[in-house]
Amino acid sequence: MSLPSQGRRPWTFYVLSVMFTLFVLFLYGPMFIMFILSFQGPTGGLVFPMRGFSLTWFDALFGQARTGDVGGAFSRSLPLALMVMVLTVLISVTAGFAFRRRFVGSGFLFYTAVASLIVPGLVLSIGILVTARFLGIPARWWFTGLGAHLSWTLPFGLLIMFAILGRLSPSYEEAAYDMGATRWQTVRHVVIPIVFPGMIAVALFGFTLSYDEFPRSWLTVGSLNTLPIEIWTMTTNVTSPALYALGTVTSAISFVAIGLAIGSIAYIQHRRSKRT
Amino acid sequence: MDGQPSGSGEIRLVDVTKTFGDMDAVKSIDLVIPHGSYCCLVGPSGCGKTTILRMIAGHETPTSGEIHIGEQMVVGLKPVQRGTAMMFQSYALFPHLSVLDNVAFYLKMRDVAKDERRRRAREMLERVQLDHLALRMPAMLSGGQQQRVALARALITNPRVLLLDEPLSALDEFLRLRMRGELKSLQAELGITFVHVTHTQPEAIALADMVVVMDHGRIDQADTARHIFSRPATPYVARFMGGQNVLSGTVTDTSGGVLVITDASGPTYAASASGPMPGAGTAMSFVVRRDRIALTKGATAAPGERNAVNGRVIATEYQGTYVKVTLDVASREAFVANIADDIYFAEPLKVGDEVTARWATADVHILERADTGAAIDPYAEDAA
Amino acid sequence: MKSNRLLTYLQVTPLFLVLLFFVIVPLALVLIVSFFRYQMLVGLVPDFTFKNYAELLSNPTTWKLYFSTIKFTVIVLAITFVLGFWVAYFLVFHVRNLLIAIGLFLVCTVPFWTSNIIRMISWRPVLGTEGLINTALLESGIVGEPISWLLFSDFAVIVAYVHLFTLFMIVPIFNAMARIDKALLEAAVDAGATRWGVVWNVVLPLSKTGIALGAVFVVTLVMGDFFVVAVMSGGLSGSATSGIFNDLQFLNYPRAAANAVVLLIIVLLIATAIFRLVDVRKELVR
Repeated sequence: MSLPSQGRRPWTFYVLSVMFTLFVLFLYGPMFIMFILSFQGPTGGLVFPMRGFSLTWFDALFGQARTGDVGGAFSRSLPLALMVMVLTVLISVTAGFAFRRRFVGSGFLFYTAVASLIVPGLVLSIGILVTARFLGIPARWWFTGLGAHLSWTLPFGLLIMFAILGRLSPSYEEAAYDMGATRWQTVRHVVIPIVFPGMIAVALFGFTLSYDEFPRSWLTVGSLNTLPIEIWTMTTNVTSPALYALGTVTSAISFVAIGLAIGSIAYIQHRRSKRT
Repeated sequence: MDGQPSGSGEIRLVDVTKTFGDMDAVKSIDLVIPHGSYCCLVGPSGCGKTTILRMIAGHETPTSGEIHIGEQMVVGLKPVQRGTAMMFQSYALFPHLSVLDNVAFYLKMRDVAKDERRRRAREMLERVQLDHLALRMPAMLSGGQQQRVALARALITNPRVLLLDEPLSALDEFLRLRMRGELKSLQAELGITFVHVTHTQPEAIALADMVVVMDHGRIDQADTARHIFSRPATPYVARFMGGQNVLSGTVTDTSGGVLVITDASGPTYAASASGPMPGAGTAMSFVVRRDRIALTKGATAAPGERNAVNGRVIATEYQGTYVKVTLDVASREAFVANIADDIYFAEPLKVGDEVTARWATADVHILERADTGAAIDPYAEDAA
Repeated sequence: MKSNRLLTYLQVTPLFLVLLFFVIVPLALVLIVSFFRYQMLVGLVPDFTFKNYAELLSNPTTWKLYFSTIKFTVIVLAITFVLGFWVAYFLVFHVRNLLIAIGLFLVCTVPFWTSNIIRMISWRPVLGTEGLINTALLESGIVGEPISWLLFSDFAVIVAYVHLFTLFMIVPIFNAMARIDKALLEAAVDAGATRWGVVWNVVLPLSKTGIALGAVFVVTLVMGDFFVVAVMSGGLSGSATSGIFNDLQFLNYPRAAANAVVLLIIVLLIATAIFRLVDVRKELVR
């Protein structure tokens, strides 16, 4: 009897491959259908068959006859996601460095971050709103909304940095120190370049988690909606493929972000292993 | 050259102690390593040799004591201010930089212009015959090549002391032997002090002008390789370096320049000694080299015969130029004789054969310290 | 190298501040507010009363909603575990080229980085009465009329949950499995284990920590969710969180807060119970 990793493929391989393929279809199928339907003809409805092929519904989002405040929501979600991305990287990376040593309160901070992941988003949303009220601060997407998003992205960023820095051998920094590098030179010329792919991953999480974040944004963004909230309201009152068009556009942005992140990581790894 | 302190690479450790938590890694060490010598620190894991290396390098600070390199007292100075350079066990080549940029790193930290520093890095790579790999990334190098890059990277700092932390451990046997020769000739060519940590005895005696044998944070013996091997000072050194049999007994006679030592279980030993003799009844230990033993079949040692023991063969191991014969001589430690192959195969032995081991009085070397009955195995855990 | 304590504390201060203002204080305030009174037209009245909890726990709707949520949680947990385990197993042990395994793994994770709401909505044209599945079934003659319970039903809710959250099972289990020394499997085979025996006796126990992590994620996500249930059940089912949602609509913050606290306690209890099976910090920080 051979293990799956050696010799001829056992029959279970074929069963599991089929299962895996079905799973991937399951994951991507509905989105794919939605992509197609967003090009529905002007007289078409929410379901198949396709009546023509047009960009009418994309137009409905951004054109004259606006469906919902999509443009406005974009103009908030995108900058917010970028801000969250930058802050998540900065805060996670510096905190990740701190956690390489034991310090008073490290356990508490760690478990608080984990708790932030576990607490249902809606509960936190309520809490942040109430906090803002008590402090007399109005809820704004670029402040309370930002903080709410950070409470979700920072634990992810932290965990990734733990994994990366945990695998980083201390001998690189010692070698740099041995050759006369100051602490800052070591961080800048040795540590950060080595962990840079991890930082890209943190940035990816920061951007996409914020861009798609819903429960925690719910009450904390104030009166101006972010895109996910806008989509949510549209699910109840929009009955046209414009919703699908919005889905396609917003997914496209996500894919661009993902592609950039994974592409750059792959490029860096490739460059470090290439022969000349 | 670059503000590096030049001059003597003599290293002096004065009463150096290093404590981690409640454990003493290194206890009151005094050591002088002469300028331009090749010094090997040898001992089992945990004996403190790496700690000493790192304290000389500046990566650890002694809890107490002084370290001098040349004329400077260097405790408190950063590594780069001491004129030392370290070669790490894992080489620690920066994975994101090419070989050339790895070697040029030191110069970059000193703000040397890019063209200049790359030129000098190339020169250094030529010295280790790796300039054809200058633009390659470390991940694509073999172990031996990585080591040479690490060497080049350390040497470009123009150190007066080069510190090597188990540099050959990661290489396979054949490469290890070859790199050993290269390290030795490199040191001769550069004329700087090399301090090399290893746990491999043959490596230590092959390379070093000075071998320092360490045990649990203390130096047992610091001497030339020949003396360490042939004239160990303590049972620990004898056992760790191998090649010796350790025997013990009490003094029963000291007349005529001959020290007679008797073991309670029977055998009598004799060694020639000069100077003040120890009194009768003193416990003494001595060593006999394994390759200075002659074996004859049959348990023929007469009672009272000196430097002869009866034993029974428990193992034979062929080693090419000699055969290692292990005997049970009714003491707590096995007795080993290394018999030259032609002599052995003239009359081979089997496990269980009764034999007598004999050696000359002149081949007995008395140890400064008697065997205390402590652990034979250098890797045994502390009794405490 | 010298360590610098001040620097360490400085480095960790931004994290601490964010967690303080956006997690610790809000949660504390939720707890406090849950003891306030709610007065119509006035709003929040600072007080200390158990009234909210009493109202909540004595209301049968609350129990119904929690029961419904826990029911979903258990079902989804079971399905995502089976799916997640076998997908991870396939990727780690059946795919031989590491690069391909990572690639396929990324393929599974990409949807995670797109919007949950969009992914949910995209099920409508598939499950609806005029959707893809029904159309296919009708045209091929398998059924005489469209199946109505594919959408706007418990089935749809579960499908959506599995679709969204299986990844949270796959990632930690994949991680745990990838760390298993392949030599252990070979040793088991040497000792006579069948392939299934290897899975049951070696792979499963060694993936325990990953399974526990995945389970905690799925539980907290399902129990804390309100929009999936609302959209996919068409309003027919509620969840514990939808109860909170309703109270918020009516601005009854104290009772919403009380409900939130109850939900939080239940979720934390389940999470702690699962964490007791594994040393989380060691697992996450490794």
